[in-house]
Amino acid sequence: MASTDISASPGLALPPLTEEDTVRSWDRSRVHDARRHNKRWYLLWLLVGPGILAMLGENDGPSMIAYASDGAQYGLGFFVPFIGVLFAMAFVCQEMCMRVGAVTHRGYGELVLQRFGRLWGWFGAGDLTLTNLVTLVGEFVSIRVGLAYFHLGSGVAVALGLTLVVFTLSGGRYWRWERIVLGMALFNGLFLLAAILVKPHLGAVVSSFDFTPFPGGSFNTLLLLLASTIGATVTPWMIFFQQSASADKGMTPDDVKHGRYDTAIGAVLAAIFGIGALIAGAALLTHNGAGIQGFAGAGFPEALKHVSGPAAGTVFALGLIEAGAVAILTISASTAYAAGECVGVSHSFNSSPRDALVFYAANVGVALLAAAVILIPGAPLLSIALNANVLATVLLPVSLVFMVMLANDRGLMGSWVNRRSTNAIGITVIAFVGLCGAAYGIDSFLLTVHIIGS
Amino acid sequence: MKTEALVTNDAHQSNPIQEQDPHAQERLKDQLIMDLERDQIVAETNRPVPRASLGAYATAGLWALRVFVVLVSLMVIYTFIDQLH
Repeated sequence: MASTDISASPGLALPPLTEEDTVRSWDRSRVHDARRHNKRWYLLWLLVGPGILAMLGENDGPSMIAYASDGAQYGLGFFVPFIGVLFAMAFVCQEMCMRVGAVTHRGYGELVLQRFGRLWGWFGAGDLTLTNLVTLVGEFVSIRVGLAYFHLGSGVAVALGLTLVVFTLSGGRYWRWERIVLGMALFNGLFLLAAILVKPHLGAVVSSFDFTPFPGGSFNTLLLLLASTIGATVTPWMIFFQQSASADKGMTPDDVKHGRYDTAIGAVLAAIFGIGALIAGAALLTHNGAGIQGFAGAGFPEALKHVSGPAAGTVFALGLIEAGAVAILTISASTAYAAGECVGVSHSFNSSPRDALVFYAANVGVALLAAAVILIPGAPLLSIALNANVLATVLLPVSLVFMVMLANDRGLMGSWVNRRSTNAIGITVIAFVGLCGAAYGIDSFLLTVHIIGS
Repeated sequence: MKTEALVTNDAHQSNPIQEQDPHAQERLKDQLIMDLERDQIVAETNRPVPRASLGAYATAGLWALRVFVVLVSLMVIYTFIDQLH
């Protein structure tokens, strides 16, 4: 909501303060100090975080294997520029989340619930929990795949993932959690290193920007590629996460410009690293890469090792572990924010576990649940992980519609409402995502029940 | 926009500075709280925002989208289960 200027209402008593307020004010004092003394780079350092984490968090294990799989099956053409376009779309959506969070100081879940009613709020939280749980299973699978390269099993993957969740929660401050995860997220650059190690032909990379050749195969395969690649770039958890994290960080309308820098840096880094995974995967194109279908690409690091040497395989495997680990932290956090906001209790990393029990319990609980699934013998883990992106794409339009509605709500946003151009792009993104997701869902269903032939 | 007023409250009992000079504690606390906007204080964000009034077309559109998304999700889940066999 538009900020209340305390000097304009001198008789207004200040509300009681909590530990969360005090902790947040420490962070804010550094921001004000940097702004007062015109320390531009330090100010940027203080204010980056939610945007980079949302974007690099979405460069998760299933997404990176989806990109690499695209490269292995179809080469660089079409997908290099397509990934760029998708992250530009993601920037538009995430900028809205950041702006609404900074202006209203509230998370996405609580705003939908309070502004449009409990039913819509709980629907949104339900969508989020379902997609997050499925995606988290994919993240543990990704860690397991990476660790398998080093001859380590599922137990180690589960222990690593859960230890990280508990460790990062133990700081008691949003700032500390953000910096730890940010430090880990930068290792997403391992995929760029993997791309360099496979020694791609630079001319082929540059010439791929003309969107050709268009991927061949059946109509359903094309829809699957589009839906899963979109789901690898924009998802419901990113919307919940960035708005809530921006509010938890204590961002204000004065910080929106830096929030845009943060989101843009995240989008550019994520696009570069995603294209890195695609290029690494494309090294397998002329080595029977077409035989690597979707998550059957679990053998990617091994395959890369044989084609491009052990260094490329090792870096790709480490990248998968990093991508899965960071996503476990950010996706669990988005679930925790949504749970706290919908139940109406404290939902901040700046609160202690005693004061924000639901928040911390949801954070650990959803990770525990996903970890339990991957320990079930014979569970169809690879199929679950492959379908996570598609399910996210199908459910995304609802979250995006509410996001656009909130960003246009003058009662909440005041002068910070969307511009017409932002609305035009936002509506185009919703239509595109909705069409791709729905087309794949309907076409696959009709094929499955044999109403149409392949 | 910042809360540039003195603040008194009893919500900081666990703060280590509490054990020092009470006036110094108050000054430090005031200084810290000055860096927050009034409407980002937890007590303020706990107050729900007023409900928006959606028109009939908007409500119908949201319901149509919700039903459509649920149906397509069920199709995706059915296809997923079928592919497992």
